[in-house]
Amino acid sequence: MDVTVAEYIRRTVLKIPRDEIKTVLQKWGFLSEAQLQSINFRQMKENTAQEVVQLCEENSADIRQAAVLDVIYNHIYADKRMWSVYQMNKTGEEMEVFCLTDFKKKIKRRLQSALKNVTITFREYEHNAIWIRIAWGTPYTKPNQYKTSYVVYHSQTPYVFISTSVYKSNLPLLCQALVVASNYHDIREMELRSRSLNSLKDIVFKRYSQNFQTYCPRPLQDRNVAPESADPRIIHENRNEKERIQRVNQEVFGDGPQPKLEFAQYKLETMFRSDPKMDVLDKKEPFRCLVKFSSPHLLEALKSLAPAGMADAPLSPLLTCIPQKARNYFRIREKKGLLPGNFVSP
Amino acid sequence: GVLAHLEMLEMQAHEAAVKQQEVKQQEEKLARLKARVQELRLQRDELRAKVDLQQKGQLGKEGGVSDPAQPSARAVLEWKIKSLKAMLRIFYLTGISSKLTKQGVCFTISTAYEGTYLDSYHLDLLTQPEVRIQRHSVPTFIPLEQIAKKYLQTDIRRFMSVLSDHLNAYVGRRYQADQLQEHFSDQIEGALQRNSLCNLLVFNYNVSSQSKTFLFNARLLYGDLCSILPTEVVISCTPDAPASLAETAGAHSDLFRRMALHKAFRSFRSTEKNVA
Repeated sequence: MDVTVAEYIRRTVLKIPRDEIKTVLQKWGFLSEAQLQSINFRQMKENTAQEVVQLCEENSADIRQAAVLDVIYNHIYADKRMWSVYQMNKTGEEMEVFCLTDFKKKIKRRLQSALKNVTITFREYEHNAIWIRIAWGTPYTKPNQYKTSYVVYHSQTPYVFISTSVYKSNLPLLCQALVVASNYHDIREMELRSRSLNSLKDIVFKRYSQNFQTYCPRPLQDRNVAPESADPRIIHENRNEKERIQRVNQEVFGDGPQPKLEFAQYKLETMFRSDPKMDVLDKKEPFRCLVKFSSPHLLEALKSLAPAGMADAPLSPLLTCIPQKARNYFRIREKKGLLPGNFVSP
Repeated sequence: GVLAHLEMLEMQAHEAAVKQQEVKQQEEKLARLKARVQELRLQRDELRAKVDLQQKGQLGKEGGVSDPAQPSARAVLEWKIKSLKAMLRIFYLTGISSKLTKQGVCFTISTAYEGTYLDSYHLDLLTQPEVRIQRHSVPTFIPLEQIAKKYLQTDIRRFMSVLSDHLNAYVGRRYQADQLQEHFSDQIEGALQRNSLCNLLVFNYNVSSQSKTFLFNARLLYGDLCSILPTEVVISCTPDAPASLAETAGAHSDLFRRMALHKAFRSFRSTEKNVA
């Protein structure tokens, strides 16, 4: 077995939390059950990793199997990477039938004809998700397995989720290959980024709970029915206001859990509005300013602002439009003439 | 003397008799009152039952001492709400229902396949200044923009009907593929290759003939997105398969074209049982 492959497998195993190593190896399926039983998973990770490499040596692992292990790791720990969303367009009306085998062939052909040295690995997951792992090389060097790009694509949708590491220069080639293989015409990056791949999917595939008005017999949810105070002497003075806030919040955010985003960024190119007497930054140029909201779970935080009393309800539409507009990067320019409100550029 | 004593005894006897009578009277009174209490209790229960019945909206004619009376206003309101809910549920069960909103209409398409209700999809439509979709929960692989471009402005009914056909066909195809994976996994070799729209299925399955099993490869193409049956079926066998199997392949191909996928597999099982 190649020394680089052994090292790569060793480093991949070291990334996995100790208690999960066995599960991941089982999913990989490259080592037999008997071999897995022979590993002591309770020792220090460094030693476990050594044992795994030893067994892979016995089974003559090559880079292809090692790549599969990497895909499995990244699928489970997808939130360790930052994912961007790309949107493809097609102008034709004909319905192309998506065939998985053709798709894989086309991607391979495109990438390998441009760059002889690439390692391409495909793996399918549920809901028709296709994971593609690409390790990039150059015409003169072998692929660097530590600088990989990951692509997640659901067939017959115009959205591609890409996580690249450093080599951004290969991005145009990758995008072109995707467009051709999926029968689209062009591709552009959306202003939507997050570590939570599933949340990005929820937003563009519209799987998050939007509050539609229906007569559907949905199961009635107990919407925060506060237990009737046991003590009748307690009067909630602003009960009406509280209820109004709840209602408005529910209309805007819906009932279910929000997609998980870590930040929203607003680039302001508006004029600074001040008292003319103060003479701060005359109206000659826009005051450039960048506002960034960060949170472990931004949308849930925004949802809880009004009920917590920290903001007025309804919140600014600039904040609440994030899932619907499928973006968390905004550029706000000065309104000109008849345009209502600030012009949010695409 | 003796007379006085006799008088005293007489008086005593008299008193005793009176007392005895009093006690007897008390007892009788008690018994009567008890009986009366029973009677009243019975009556009270009867009346309670009547009131209950009335509240449930049923007018009985039994033993009507009290009149069947006007159903209370509350009962009428409850009945109205109940029949409205039933009406709305009927509309929901037809598959397409809607609700007026402040700016337009919200449509709900509830899909089903052969009696099993599956997913519901929603569309918020704005009606001013022209009809357009504000937001929706239709999956991205359904050609919504194409259908909207064709029909939304001119014929909303047709738009909803075409969209409903697409969605119902999609969930129907998906249901068949899921059933195949769930209930016939022992006959399928390897993975079932499918796509988001479930309009191309490729899989290998086992066919037994003369106590030997052969592998067939099936490729089902659903060219019509509004149909739950494939437009094109290609079944191929491995090169070592006997010539007689070609006929079976043809028969299977026919079956897949006519019948839902999981039902076709069910019929294989029963024919195999008959042959074996």
